[in-house]
Amino acid sequence: MLLTGKSAQQTLLYLAFCIAILLVPLFLDDAFLLNKYSRYLVFAMLAVALSLSWGYAGILNLGQATTFGLGSYCMAMALKLGTVPVHTGSEGLPDFMVWNNVTELPWFWAPFHSTTFALVAGILVPATFAALLGWFMFRGRVTGVYAAIITLAAMVVVNLVIIDQQRFTGGFNGITDLAQFEVAGLSFDAYSSSTYYLVALCLSAVLFLSLAITRSKTGMILQAIRDQEDRVRFFGYDVALYKIFIFAVSAGIAGLAGMLYTIVMEFASPTFLGVPLSLSVVIWVAVGGRQSLLGAALGALIVTGVQGALSESETFLESWMLIMGGLFVLTVLFLPKGIAGAFEMLTARFQRQPAGQPATAAKPGGEAITHGEGA
Amino acid sequence: MSDDGEIQLALNDVSVSFGGFVAVAGLDLAVGKGELRCLIGPNGAGKTTALDLICGKTQATSGEIRFEGRSIDKLKEYEIARAGIGRKFQVPSVFRELTVRENLHIGQSRQTGVLANLVRFGGSMDDDELERLAELVGLSDALDSAAAHLSHGQTQWLEIALILAQDPALILMDEPTAGMTGQETGKTAELFNRLRGQHTLIVVEHDMGFVRDIAETISVMHQGKLLAEGSLKEISSDPQVREAYLGSGGIGHA
Repeated sequence: MLLTGKSAQQTLLYLAFCIAILLVPLFLDDAFLLNKYSRYLVFAMLAVALSLSWGYAGILNLGQATTFGLGSYCMAMALKLGTVPVHTGSEGLPDFMVWNNVTELPWFWAPFHSTTFALVAGILVPATFAALLGWFMFRGRVTGVYAAIITLAAMVVVNLVIIDQQRFTGGFNGITDLAQFEVAGLSFDAYSSSTYYLVALCLSAVLFLSLAITRSKTGMILQAIRDQEDRVRFFGYDVALYKIFIFAVSAGIAGLAGMLYTIVMEFASPTFLGVPLSLSVVIWVAVGGRQSLLGAALGALIVTGVQGALSESETFLESWMLIMGGLFVLTVLFLPKGIAGAFEMLTARFQRQPAGQPATAAKPGGEAITHGEGA
Repeated sequence: MSDDGEIQLALNDVSVSFGGFVAVAGLDLAVGKGELRCLIGPNGAGKTTALDLICGKTQATSGEIRFEGRSIDKLKEYEIARAGIGRKFQVPSVFRELTVRENLHIGQSRQTGVLANLVRFGGSMDDDELERLAELVGLSDALDSAAAHLSHGQTQWLEIALILAQDPALILMDEPTAGMTGQETGKTAELFNRLRGQHTLIVVEHDMGFVRDIAETISVMHQGKLLAEGSLKEISSDPQVREAYLGSGGIGHA
């Protein structure tokens, strides 16, 4: 009974967050700020993705940006083809291909004429990539630091391939000069509330989908795997399969975030699959609390928000990196479970006190009873 | 060996070595359905390794392990578990960050598929069964507290309860009373006697008082082999067994 009460509370909290982010455009009529906040919300979605694999299944993915970048390129390819009839002089090719002496649209570009295909690919390509990588890692029982290093290395490889294959990917410059995203007769201008709503709605959907996964028995088993992998195996669960599943789901969400990022930023670039972004995600999630989806999202919003404010103000132009680093160290030292953990501790204290007992006496007393019964 | 039941588990000439050290050397062991078998032996006799071999944690170098008529020595751990073998580890291993209730839900593993469990909310065990198990091991009042808050003895019982939730035909128990107080050990013996007949049990144990309380047939291992088998009376008068335990103060003090 306590459990249902607690989970109802949690649902309400998530709902409040989603409503809050959806209300923002009503009070804000600044195209630049809306675009900036849409970007932060995309980062929040990326943080939720990492929270699923790291916080719930114990898989520290240092290469979360790989799948983010793959998603963003899928969207960029579709939007680039949207500009083709207008912008290109010759052969209906994207401009950078013309500059690179490509004469024919590569086969893997062709299907991106269809927006539907691009939307599906933006989720399935990253998810498949992660599933394959996961298959090798988790079937081979690679865990902990080693898994983290493999994800990081895989990202560097994908990043290099994209930069190297300039003819097909635009290389260092990425894919720029894109059409506006249009779906079902709606067009999404990056500097408008429509794009903000799109991102906010997707984030809300992702939050509740992820919440449902963590509350299912599969979510419970994943947490058990995080605690004691071997114990789970000897109950008959195929641990590798569970890990591959959540790794792929996390990658699919990151891919969706990547697609939205392309819409918001109006380009895709190899920096989207870069080490700096990927490690930033880990920091957001650590600050927000990796074992809370909402905490991870808030962590991303707070850290990127503060970062944005500091780096844009003249006084901190030189020192903002140092301040961010200091904040991170302080959080890890004093709030090992992040902001979400601190919040839980506080609410627990508030809820216990009105019961008419000092905050500390309630729990140990309860435990003493079970001890007595046990002995 | 009791002759009344069919043989459920059979190890035929099973050996395993780790980098030259032979932990189990040609072990033969047969356990009947519903039997409660105690496996004893001096330190380093290969008892835990024998359990590891049965549950798939360790692969045998040679020999064959058969369970309910099929060969299981090449199966993966989770396949062996699904075939109906449960394992309790020597160091109690439960999910410390989850509540006792959630722990029990995970133990109940009739449904092991990712997608099947994805659409299952609030666990898969009905509350009556869960509460019955919790009561059986004295954890009724601790259902909603995190497993990390349990005492050592309670953690041992929780793991036993998890195995019972799994409901395997054969349960392997590695020193289930390690670290328990005398009173807790007594309760555990009581519990095992209740399980007798419903599950086949193989119990590795050092505490001879506990073995005395539960044993019907005892198998004695020494240097990776089966040394003797029989009732407590038979093996304690066996000169070979006395020899093996020499230096460790005799069987009663092992």
